[in-house]
Amino acid sequence: MSFDVQMPTSEEGLVSLLSKESSHILAGGTDLLVKIRLKRVIPKTIVSLRHLKGLDRIEDLGDKMRVGCRVTISELLNSEIISRHARILQMALRQIGSPQIRNRATLAGNIINASPAGDSIVAMVLSNASLSIGSANGERYERVVDFIRGPGVTTLSRGEFVKSITFEKTDVLFPQFHKVGQRNSMAISVASVGSLTSESEIRLAFGSVAPTVVVPIDACEYYSAEIDSFDEERFVELAMKCVTPIDDVRATAWYRTTVVRNLIHRTLKVWRKKGYNAV
Amino acid sequence: MKITLNVNGKLHDIDIDPGEYLLDVLRRIGYKSVRRSCNSASCGTCTVLLNGKPILSCSTFAASVDGQSIETVEGMSDGEKLHPIQEAILEEGGAQCGYCIPGLIMTGEALLRENIDPSDEEIKLALNGNICRCTGYEPQNRAIKKAAQVMRGELDE
Ligand SMILES: Cc1cc2nc3c(=O)[nH]c(=O)nc-3n(C[C@@H](O)[C@@H](O)[C@H](O)COP(=O)(O)OP(=O)(O)OC[C@H]3O[C@@H](n4cnc5c(N)ncnc54)[C@H](O)[C@@H]3O)c2cc1C
Ligand code: FES
Ligand code: FES
Repeated sequence: MSFDVQMPTSEEGLVSLLSKESSHILAGGTDLLVKIRLKRVIPKTIVSLRHLKGLDRIEDLGDKMRVGCRVTISELLNSEIISRHARILQMALRQIGSPQIRNRATLAGNIINASPAGDSIVAMVLSNASLSIGSANGERYERVVDFIRGPGVTTLSRGEFVKSITFEKTDVLFPQFHKVGQRNSMAISVASVGSLTSESEIRLAFGSVAPTVVVPIDACEYYSAEIDSFDEERFVELAMKCVTPIDDVRATAWYRTTVVRNLIHRTLKVWRKKGYNAV
Repeated sequence: MKITLNVNGKLHDIDIDPGEYLLDVLRRIGYKSVRRSCNSASCGTCTVLLNGKPILSCSTFAASVDGQSIETVEGMSDGEKLHPIQEAILEEGGAQCGYCIPGLIMTGEALLRENIDPSDEEIKLALNGNICRCTGYEPQNRAIKKAAQVMRGELDE
């Protein structure tokens, strides 16, 4: 393999290296190195974030939090403010890979990889996350739901990089994350359902059942509008409208559809049984 | 390019290709306990400790860990005397073909440094990235539990 590895220390240095053809950012490398091995990515320059100054903190911004692009999943799982204010993210991150993977993988990398199965993406969409994207032209901001365009496809263009992720604290909502995989933890999900619930509001997002993580907006609106005459079957039907799974090596479309349906029922059941006092 | 690695406390100045993986570099300079199976971040046999934390050397560029500290199984035993985790794995039947063992021991060691009294569930979760084709995992989980007892001084070696 012949490519160059660069380790810029400043954002200016990083941005100028990114303007080159076939240069790729290396964060934890848990996705990128596998792709290089499979020759799905053939880099000329690898730009490592290791010596970059800053962008390595988890910050409390009042009603929001900000996570720098160098923060690893292990660091987030060990963070006091994440376990207090972003339990949905914590639940999702616990499902990712093994300790070895979590010690290297970053939250930013998981989002940028834009897998329909990306566990953190479900939590980030539920927390109304947005990204700060840097380039030679300054900075732009984009919501995660708009940033991800398809499987592995984002709006990032050459010369741009993700600086940080900002998302809402969700302490007052009851979090649930249900994932069905083939084998515990190490498996990329067959289907996942994340939710944040209160008496008057539900936020739902599904992983692995469409080309991207999806939000069943009609169902969420129905929940808030029909608090007194809530019909669970109607709710599930509305939610299933955005479920368009495929057959792949991990599961058939039929199986995925059945799993999501069951997970939606389970989500409502857990919410009714526990409320958030019981957590 | 030139990098420096601290492996088990010993400094190595090494000439590497920028695209070389840590696994290949470690084996090249003699740390043959570090093993390749899947080569794609899925099995854990290539696990080493980077600054005390388990990582997968098959999926880490050597260039990106320049100047840092690596630990492998070679650094675990004290001459002829095995580390308590190694001892417990032998006693509990945690090794059959043995291929997965170096990676397993490093992951187990990192766990016990953080938590010297892990529950069964915590052991299972910590080891879920270390695949073993032979033992069915139970003897390995028992071995970690037993090694922890020895290291806490509650059980004689
Ligand atoms: C065995 C195994 C199991 C896994 N299990 C799961 C699982 O259960 N659930 C799950 O969701 N994921 C899983 N993953 C994938 C998960 O590890 C990755 O998605 C990870 O979070 C990516 O982060 P990274 O830092 O390693 O990214 P890298 O591999 O370093 O980078 C990923 C991509 O993002 C780009 N990039 C990285 N940082 C930036 C930045 N700041 N700006 C611009 N571009 C950037 C890179 O160029 C690359 O294209 C698994 C992976 C493996 C190998
Ligand atoms: S060889 Fe590295 S994880 Fe399998
Ligand atoms: S003992 Fe054979 S793979 Fe674990």
